[in-house]
Amino acid sequence: MRSFKSVLIFACLGLPWMIGCPEANADPAGKKAKSIDELAARYDVSSCKECHEEIYEQWEASAHAKSIFGIGARTAATIGTTITKGLMTWPYSGVKKPEDVKVKHLMLCAKCHLPQLEEATDDVAQEIVKAVFGLWDKAIKKESVKKLRKINVNCLICHQKKAITHKWAQGFPQKDAVYGSQEGAHEDENYPNMKKSEILHESVFCGQCHGLGPNFEFEQPSQCATAYGSYLFAYVSEGGHETCQSCHIRKLNKGHVMPAYRDPDMAAAALRFEVDAFGYYWRKNKVEGVTPLAVVRVEMTNKTGHEIPDG
Amino acid sequence: MPAPGKMGCGKEMGRGPYEKAGLIRDTALPPHRTIIETFEIPFPHEKIEQGKEIYGKPLCNEMDIDVELWYVPFGEKEGPAARWNQLWKKLTKRVTID
Repeated sequence: MRSFKSVLIFACLGLPWMIGCPEANADPAGKKAKSIDELAARYDVSSCKECHEEIYEQWEASAHAKSIFGIGARTAATIGTTITKGLMTWPYSGVKKPEDVKVKHLMLCAKCHLPQLEEATDDVAQEIVKAVFGLWDKAIKKESVKKLRKINVNCLICHQKKAITHKWAQGFPQKDAVYGSQEGAHEDENYPNMKKSEILHESVFCGQCHGLGPNFEFEQPSQCATAYGSYLFAYVSEGGHETCQSCHIRKLNKGHVMPAYRDPDMAAAALRFEVDAFGYYWRKNKVEGVTPLAVVRVEMTNKTGHEIPDG
Repeated sequence: MPAPGKMGCGKEMGRGPYEKAGLIRDTALPPHRTIIETFEIPFPHEKIEQGKEIYGKPLCNEMDIDVELWYVPFGEKEGPAARWNQLWKKLTKRVTID
């Protein structure tokens, strides 16, 4: 009887582990990548281009493709200031100098800018840190840019790693599958299966990264985007019912570029902007008398699904 | 523009994502709502006394007023960070006064 109880307890404790962990990691063996090159190879999407050329090229032109480097290196620069103005100044961060930065520190940014970093060792964190500071060192700038451009939010992040939000109900992403709108076989050596995602077309999918506010799951919460919070609590509450994908992918045929305010079409569609003006003589007071005045009335209606700007 | 709190403590604003937490104030344009801003701009004028009254006599009867809406992410209209600024909308209105 005693031995039966032992087996039962082992089975109960072991089951969630067996269900959860192997599929939760992009690498089936759970081995961590030890270099940027290794991490980039693990998330190599060059084979996607063979069949999805147009979508691939759209993605290449997107901010997602530059998620760690950023547009004009703005993201990399912010990672730099996160280290120098944040981590290195806080007494309990464990970071006194850039060489102390580990994966857990970079996850403040990488949660969204490079979610696959959780599958890498601290050596990769250090390589990223060196590349970030290398952008301001003429001797290694070119090499640093090249390194940071290798890693990004790509096809496999959205269509594989982050394709399921509710993993206890819908299961963990299968390592051999990509997720989209259909089920079936997929002509790819590494991803031979195609699975239908329950959320890829829903706003909650984008909400994984585009922000509710402070990321309280961290010991030191970071806050970047707040667009999803605004979508939920200011747009939907006002009767809005479009999805993120509807405006950023479909309506203006922007596809996987998924542009925002830098795109002239998106900027034009985002806002109704009207100006009215007239002149009159304003009787100010006895000392200053009557002043000829122009009155300008500016009317702005935000037609997007979130505040402009967010942050 | 949202003004996030510095680590959510007190009334000081934070700037980078490493210290921003919550919001102290938000002047961003909210979705689905119309925001109206009014500006008053005096015509160039000279003061003239007429009896006990002072009148502003316009030096011109027409003004072309450029109205520009800018995104200024780092709060600087000029300086190095201004390279991130973006002009969103621009309209010109002619105002006359007799």
